[in-house]
Amino acid sequence: MTAFLALLRRDLVVTSRHAGPLLLSTLTQPVLVILVFGNILPRLGLVATTFGTIMVPGLMAITMLMAGVQGVLIPLSQDLSGSREVDERLLAPIGVFEVSLERIVAGAVHAAAAGLVAGPVMIVLMHNVGAGDVRPHWPLLLPLVVVCGLLSAAFGLTLGTQVQPRFAGLLFAVVLGPMMLFGCAYYPWASLAKIGAVQYLFLLNPLTFVSEAMRLAVTPNAPHMPVPLLLVGLLGFLAFFTIVGARSFEKRTIL
Amino acid sequence: MSILVVESLVKTYPGARKSPPVEAVRGVSFAVERGEFFGLLGPNGAGKSTTIGCIATLVRPTSGRVLVDGVDVVKQPRDAKRRIAVVPQTRNLDRDLTVREVLTYHGRYFGLSAAEREARADRLLAELQIAEKANAKPATLSGGQQQRVMIARALMHDPKVVLLDEPTTGLDPQARRLLWETLRMLHERGTTFILTTHYMEEADRLCERLAILDHGKVLTLDTPGALKKSLPGAQVLDLWVHARQPLAPRLQALPGVLNLEPVAVGSGEGDSLERLRLFVDPADGLLDRVLHAVRDGGADLRHVNLSQPSLEDVYIHLTGRELRE
Repeated sequence: MTAFLALLRRDLVVTSRHAGPLLLSTLTQPVLVILVFGNILPRLGLVATTFGTIMVPGLMAITMLMAGVQGVLIPLSQDLSGSREVDERLLAPIGVFEVSLERIVAGAVHAAAAGLVAGPVMIVLMHNVGAGDVRPHWPLLLPLVVVCGLLSAAFGLTLGTQVQPRFAGLLFAVVLGPMMLFGCAYYPWASLAKIGAVQYLFLLNPLTFVSEAMRLAVTPNAPHMPVPLLLVGLLGFLAFFTIVGARSFEKRTIL
Repeated sequence: MSILVVESLVKTYPGARKSPPVEAVRGVSFAVERGEFFGLLGPNGAGKSTTIGCIATLVRPTSGRVLVDGVDVVKQPRDAKRRIAVVPQTRNLDRDLTVREVLTYHGRYFGLSAAEREARADRLLAELQIAEKANAKPATLSGGQQQRVMIARALMHDPKVVLLDEPTTGLDPQARRLLWETLRMLHERGTTFILTTHYMEEADRLCERLAILDHGKVLTLDTPGALKKSLPGAQVLDLWVHARQPLAPRLQALPGVLNLEPVAVGSGEGDSLERLRLFVDPADGLLDRVLHAVRDGGADLRHVNLSQPSLEDVYIHLTGRELRE
């Protein structure tokens, strides 16, 4: 446990030294999206003011997913580079599984911080427009942010260890891009019932559960997924990506 | 009890797509005593780094056993990791930390108290002559300095065995000599080292005993002195010749020539150039007789070298090849 905490401390200290650029890189996009869709377009009467209410939790989810993936992917590419900085971690008196868990926890802290900063920033940007119905329920929000952060980081570990670094660009275009569009960030999952059974295909996307979790915690009056389904999805994907990610981390690092 | 025991170690890497599996280590056994400076000598691809990787828990052995201070590295990797330290072949210092932090964080990983890790970092920075770089980022250091930081980092948790994987590769001669002095100083203080190298001189200067590896097997294991003594004759005479007919029988018959071995000559030196290696006892007129025999055989002598046997000669004697690739 000592080694685990020491590694986590190292990662958080190093991350905090670059906190500014990191937050900027994860927050810019969602914040600008909310500025356009949650403030400008509603004022012009081009979208309903309620759209902001739907989007805030969704964009928090996207922010967390991206921050979690980046928070693992970037250090991981350094780890697995030719110089093998990861060996210093693997040589610490700790198991390989714990080394990969530590990566997930560090990424989750990154994701949670980004999500918790993104929420209020967006509410401020939508001031007097459509944010009236955004009411964070903190006792629910905090644990859900933790679980969603872990899920995002575990997903990042899986991607980072399964995909060659030279395909990172492709990863964003082909995997993360579509995920964001079809992850119920811009529409509640419940309302997809109108398009029939296709609704259930959206459950294959982990972002759907992150979006719905934020929707439950931040906009309780908007339609959202049944809680048992939400929990099964979140915890199921978390377990799946943690196991797959940790396994392929071990495969990549221990020859 | 030996501080390190390697028993019938085998490592076979699965082949990448369609290529056959690679047998990197094929039954290596040796034991290292407490306080010893032990060497693994061999060309690239001999299995040295894989052996080190298995001892360090970074490579999973296919079969065989490694015990560090009685702890099985496969069954109890955490306990094993407390007892070993690795100075890897590639410079892998944490690029986001300062030199001092590299040492103190390493101390944290191993659960040292704050007072302990600060004191040790101070002492090691001074001993390894990197104190003035304490607050610099590793990337700004020279290769030799980075190597010394890696050694300091390895010593932070007071390991029982330090594994040095080709520590002087890529260093200039001056930095290499400085590193050798440092290692000797640390060894005199009781640190147990296991060094891999393909530099004969390095192995000869530092190692008390060494194993010569080739194609994943230990060819021989002894002190450098005993290895050199194991060669026939007191001197080695190398001839590089263009021969139209075989010279060997002619040379072998000469008095004073104890043994003759052809040595594979690296490509690029001309197809018909041959290297003949004669193990000789110096006697009056020996060189003269050899030169006569070469001329009588109708061969064209290009180059001659007479030397004391070195570890390289031991390697050539064992493999029939030069060590350099």
